[in-house]
Amino acid sequence: MTATPAVIDPPKTGRRPAGMESSSWISVLLFLLPALLLLGIFLVYPVISTLRMSLDRGLGGNFTRFVGLDNYIALLNTPSFVGSIVNNVLWMIFYTSFVILFGLLIAVVAMRVRYESTIKAIVFLPMAIAATALAVIWGFVYSTDPHIGVLNALLGVIHAGPISWLGDAGFVNAALIAVGIWGSTGFATVILSAALKGIPTEILEAARTDGANELQIFVRIIVPMVSLPISVLAVTLIVNVIKLFDIPYVMTQGGPGNASRVIAFEMYKQDFSAGQFGKAAAVAVVMLLLLVPVMVFNIRRFRSSSVV
Amino acid sequence: MAKFPRLITLPIAAALILSACGGGATPTPAGSTAASTPPASSEASGGSSAPGSSAVTSGSITVTSLWGGSEQDAFQKVLDAFKAKTGITATYQAQRTDYATVLQSKITSGSPPDVAIMPGLGFLRQFARSGGIKKISDLGIDPASLDANYPPGILDPGKVDGELYGLMVKFNSKSTFWYRPDKFTTAGAKVPASWDDLKAALDTLKSKGSATPLGLGAKDSWTLTDWFEEVYLRQNGADAYKTLFSPTGNWTDATVSKAITTMTEVINDKYVVGGIKGALGVAFTDGIAQAFGATAKADAYYEGGFVGGIATGQVNKDLKIGTTIDWFNFPTFGGAGDTAAEIGGDEIAALTTNPGVKEFIQFMASADAGTTWAKTGAIISPVKAVDPSAYPNDLAKKEAAQVAGASAVVYDGSDTLPAGAPDMGAMLQDAIQGKDVAGLLGTFNTGVTAAWAGEK
Amino acid sequence: MSTNVATERIAAPAQTVSARILARLNKTPIHIALGIVAIIWLAPTIGLLVTSFRPRTDIQATGWWETLSTLRFTTTNYEQVLNAQGMGRAFLNSLIISIPSTLLPLLICSLAAYAFSWLRFRFRDTIFLVIVALMMVPIQVAFLPLQQLFRPFQLTQGFVGIWLAHTAFALPFGIFLLRNFFITLPKDLIEAAKIDGSSTLGVFRTIVLPLSVPALAAYGIFQFLWVWNDLLMALIFVGRNENYPMTVQVTTLLGTYGTEWNLLAASAFLLMFVPLAVFFSLQRYFVQGLLAGSVK
Repeated sequence: MTATPAVIDPPKTGRRPAGMESSSWISVLLFLLPALLLLGIFLVYPVISTLRMSLDRGLGGNFTRFVGLDNYIALLNTPSFVGSIVNNVLWMIFYTSFVILFGLLIAVVAMRVRYESTIKAIVFLPMAIAATALAVIWGFVYSTDPHIGVLNALLGVIHAGPISWLGDAGFVNAALIAVGIWGSTGFATVILSAALKGIPTEILEAARTDGANELQIFVRIIVPMVSLPISVLAVTLIVNVIKLFDIPYVMTQGGPGNASRVIAFEMYKQDFSAGQFGKAAAVAVVMLLLLVPVMVFNIRRFRSSSVV
Repeated sequence: MAKFPRLITLPIAAALILSACGGGATPTPAGSTAASTPPASSEASGGSSAPGSSAVTSGSITVTSLWGGSEQDAFQKVLDAFKAKTGITATYQAQRTDYATVLQSKITSGSPPDVAIMPGLGFLRQFARSGGIKKISDLGIDPASLDANYPPGILDPGKVDGELYGLMVKFNSKSTFWYRPDKFTTAGAKVPASWDDLKAALDTLKSKGSATPLGLGAKDSWTLTDWFEEVYLRQNGADAYKTLFSPTGNWTDATVSKAITTMTEVINDKYVVGGIKGALGVAFTDGIAQAFGATAKADAYYEGGFVGGIATGQVNKDLKIGTTIDWFNFPTFGGAGDTAAEIGGDEIAALTTNPGVKEFIQFMASADAGTTWAKTGAIISPVKAVDPSAYPNDLAKKEAAQVAGASAVVYDGSDTLPAGAPDMGAMLQDAIQGKDVAGLLGTFNTGVTAAWAGEK
Repeated sequence: MSTNVATERIAAPAQTVSARILARLNKTPIHIALGIVAIIWLAPTIGLLVTSFRPRTDIQATGWWETLSTLRFTTTNYEQVLNAQGMGRAFLNSLIISIPSTLLPLLICSLAAYAFSWLRFRFRDTIFLVIVALMMVPIQVAFLPLQQLFRPFQLTQGFVGIWLAHTAFALPFGIFLLRNFFITLPKDLIEAAKIDGSSTLGVFRTIVLPLSVPALAAYGIFQFLWVWNDLLMALIFVGRNENYPMTVQVTTLLGTYGTEWNLLAASAFLLMFVPLAVFFSLQRYFVQGLLAGSVK
């Protein structure tokens, strides 16, 4: 971490370094106005109405009955809500870590072969597949019929199974998380690969000249240098998990029973069809709140000087 | 990432959308719909003015529903017949994803389709209460004048708070138990009439036919709600059934747990392909394939009348009606419900009072439309005057006759529960896995009761 | 050793960074590992490809790998999708929607991300935090208010509505991603340019953008993919049927119970075609970004 001051030291955003003045408001506006304008209209305004709606009964879209925090209390008393939070935590731990791990490994390893771009393209392929098609593909992989399901066909070879990957409450979450990891690793690979290629070669040369071995270079230079992209990835993936909906939706509908429900799906089942918009708004707010610690942590990281 | 955010967000605030409708921007739902009516239409109340009169002989309207594919082709024939008869062009817009969300959004943006055909009753009640759809009487149609077109009770599901909003345009029986006549014959199993017969037949099949004779696609949990509804209806009769699926329904009643226990007499590891855990990973259509696919492993499969079309048209085109596919009445228990039938259907509703809409709704209630549609084999028409000979095959003819001859017809119960109720299918998925039924029903009852109370 | 590495770097710049780490190791384990990766990531996709050429009745009867023995293929699925009414127009619409909906966010995000990483102003981090928190906003929250907003301007009658909507919803993630990339750019370089008299815009254009090509390309691909595969936003913000993109058009081919796996598979492949072409063509820019980065 000592070897790479110029590149990895981010601007000390919290404090104003000596010799730096505020940029002129004109230039700030020039850069920010388009974004702020669009965000204000398309996101902030709807969010504010969501906050208001979460305090209303909101039945059938009539926002005329203020109920205070009733929607939030009702949410906590919904039995399957707790289970769905547990599932989200499972996703958060396994999906996030494996996507980053695989993404980094593939990006680093693939750099050493001539067919790097081919490997990256292969891992990236799932990103281009629409979610409904994802359900088709993995429906085949997980099918309980050994003539259709690849996994059970393989188990059949060693005279095991068949396992009902999506019908057995003990397997279903692992099976879905695997789909998620498979689908998102390409994202991590591309991002991390771009970041790895941003590492100036001089630094590595310098380190090597100083007598560092390759492992030291990897641990002490490469990993720290992509730590920022990794944390960006982690935040993005965690956001994905909190909003996660499509995989359980297309593959299991949250089943069997409520075994694979996640928060977003829970709300869809409980409230979208229910017309209980106040309660649905409350969930949106809860999801927003769940993210705040992640964001604060992230910002803190950027602010601190010990980024690496 | 790219894949995720797309669908991920679907849920929650899919709901919120509807919400904003009633929110600050549009003071009342009624106001929003009135305002959203394009200028061409008369004011909603003025049904007697130009558009409502009988002189409409041209123009065009839009009709939306969820169907695509072959169902869309079949419906197009009905629209063509409408054009031929009235000169009005009705354009179909398939709308297969997020039906309610998109519909509500189009209403708010001021460009709703003129007519929507909605699955189940949840949407109908939702849109009726939020003011998104018109009363039938708003179109200048006297609801009483339609009664004669339908068997008694068919129009009831289309009523919300006592007012008629929707007309049932097509339905399927849910009291049809599908089986393989050839395999039954080979194994020497009798086509069952009673529940005990069914168990006996499954035992016979198990020993002489397929090791696991019953197909089940319980990943789609609505197949389990249909199972439950049929058993409950047969055991307790139409009146008790209607009570259970009404605000006064009591899910902790002994009849409910008894019906679930009865279900598990056949829905268990002994009879079901792949066992319960296996079946919970099998989709509805794959369940059909278990019994009727080219490499069938089961001999029977329970689901509604639509199984016939899917099995013969998609799963296995080599099926021969009466030889390799047929159905019998859902088995009986020797009680009040033996001769009742359960149906599930779609409701048509008007979103505007534009010229042509009244004519279209009237047309859809007529024998003309019903017969044209029935001839495609895609649907069973609720219109009384549709001649049974209109149906193109024996399966559909039998299905129509079953419902016509039923002592009482009830509507799919899970479709009539308030939208805020807990997931009945998920509850049943838990129940067949052997979880404590009393506990499940207790929780479910609390949720349903609250949801009924919340609907008012 | 070092010559060898140096040669490699010149020949294939993509291998520069840590090529040396494992250069001393035998490459065989690497090839094996990557082979396994390739199989895991390819097999399901190949399954989809094979499925897309199989008759519907076969799909539910046997596994796709068994096709290799029966060799019964059909192009019916593709014909059905391609011949569906309006599919050509829908393809065009997908392009019309996707291209501006990718370029606009790229421009606006990189402007804003630059401000958040290299300009100084009050509440900078607070505003950034708020924007990042907006990543959590579910799209649906905005549908109804926006419909009401668009209505007087008839924005959904053309493509402006969907362009703006896609752009706005892309911003939080894009700004987040690019800001965190920009922040790693060499400070000295930017300070030097300022001292040389470059304007803020000049620094952005001549230093920041060229150095960020890999990140911009990566983000551009994701945004393009999102828009290209989007179904829901198109349903809401495209008001006229003749403007619907392919995703919407494909859904009209499917029946109520979604049993048409053959059509889903075929249309999934048709939909994948363009994003993958984009991905492959942009891969070059990843390398260019590297060159730009190392030439400084």
